Amino acid sequence: MNSDERPEAGHHVGRYMGVAMREVEELHLVGHASVAPHLRGPAGGVRTGALLTMLDNVGGVTGGLAALPDGWVVSTNLAARVVARSHVGPLRIDSCLLRRGRNNVVTSVQVRDEGLRDALVASGVLTSAILVPENGPPQWTRPLVLEAGPEPAPDLPSMPDWLGVRVVGDHAVEIELAAELRNPWGILHGGVVATLVDLAAEHATGGGITTDVVLHFLAPNRVGPVRASVRELGRRTDGRLLRVEVRDEGAARMTALAIVTCAPRA
Amino acid sequence: MTAVYPPDHHLLRDLRFSFEHDADGRRSRAWMPVVRELCTDLGHARAGVLATLVDVIGGGLAASAAAPGWIATADLTLHLVGAARPGSVVEARAEVLRAGRTTVVLEVALVDEHERNVGIATMSFAVLPRREANPEVDRVRDSPSTMATARSRLDRPLLEELDVQVRDPARGVIEVPVTDWSRNSMGSMQGGVVATVAEVAAETALRAATNEQLVVTDLQVTYLGFGRVGPVRTTAEALGTGDGHGSARVELVDAGAESRQMTVVHAVATRVLT
Repeated sequence: MNSDERPEAGHHVGRYMGVAMREVEELHLVGHASVAPHLRGPAGGVRTGALLTMLDNVGGVTGGLAALPDGWVVSTNLAARVVARSHVGPLRIDSCLLRRGRNNVVTSVQVRDEGLRDALVASGVLTSAILVPENGPPQWTRPLVLEAGPEPAPDLPSMPDWLGVRVVGDHAVEIELAAELRNPWGILHGGVVATLVDLAAEHATGGGITTDVVLHFLAPNRVGPVRASVRELGRRTDGRLLRVEVRDEGAARMTALAIVTCAPRA
Repeated sequence: MTAVYPPDHHLLRDLRFSFEHDADGRRSRAWMPVVRELCTDLGHARAGVLATLVDVIGGGLAASAAAPGWIATADLTLHLVGAARPGSVVEARAEVLRAGRTTVVLEVALVDEHERNVGIATMSFAVLPRREANPEVDRVRDSPSTMATARSRLDRPLLEELDVQVRDPARGVIEVPVTDWSRNSMGSMQGGVVATVAEVAAETALRAATNEQLVVTDLQVTYLGFGRVGPVRTTAEALGTGDGHGSARVELVDAGAESRQMTVVHAVATRVLT
């Protein structure tokens, strides 16, 4: 891993999401995010892709702190269940360490709605691999405090517009790998991959809402365009079960696989 | 999987799995005949049983992919869309998606004998340095096409064989001993059995929460530690319920080992599959 040294590089996604986080006790982080208009989906609540990005963000930093001083982490898989579809906010993202192994870290993450008496919004588990960055792991002052930055502008584009999503037939969507969508290591941000999966599921189901995701990150997206293609596996009382394959078309390889349950919007 | 594993009377024999491995070590297939003893009270194969099939075929394939290193199962996910009923045969088709320095990831498609989708599973494994006690990969790959013997079969329902004891249905508290019949080659509760225990806990709690005959269709199992001593004890929290479905978070501990945390599971239950 070789990080981009420009001060802005890799932080656009974090600023767009507006998540602040604080280490409330060792390896227990609490993040907060507002229910901003640009994060809402067509059903009115925060998009599942945005919730997954928050889980990945706060869970990933928790995992990274657990990996110190040996290295830092990259997400390898994210599994989450969304149980509330309308949100008031602010959202609290609570992450704690479940296990620190020789080469991976597992964190538990829950999102709660402080505007709805702490109602559970989503519950998930993030697994990350421990890697040693070329320039060494990041240096943090502990306990860690990360500010969200200035209040987001009221006219920020919606997630599909911000990502520049375009439709490819009835069952796929794709994006270009723009500079502001990359993480500090120069590859497509994991939260963007999760959001692309969510948007592909929504498109393929004619407006369904992603309620359950298992997402395996298999390889970095470096070239683009990055395409998410959906195949329906079957239907149940809780929605449609989908297999979503993400490919870096420019590198001609599969980069992620997701299994998604998509509920009807009503 | 030493010379004496599994013993004559063992889950992996009695489930009567059979296997076939591609020579390139990237794909494997396994088959499981569905019998009544493996089914829910609504008459189709339990999610935990199918997770056991996935765990066994996936573990062997991942060991080949990680050679000369060894593996530890990190997580297993299973999503069902079709009912596998007694008399049918479920086929598991496993494929390596990634074989890296630190992780191996697999996808496993589950179909019945008519090529109908039963479900889909994924597994990921941490790659570890090989130890002397780990079996040789060639032995895994060249293992017989079945572990079943002429006498292998279930004589009673799986949950009776596992001696599942429901202590508190509303809180999903159940206890299950760790026995030789259900141990893995490391002497701990086999990973598919762990999934089955979580399935029963989630099903019990969600039926209590909804008053509906829901069955578990999805399992997201994160393995954190072994269950060596027993009993394995669960607690389940219903996360949400809707019309004809519900979800729960289940935690498993080894009560005999100072309640060491073993596994965290997210489960979804729906009305009967078709």
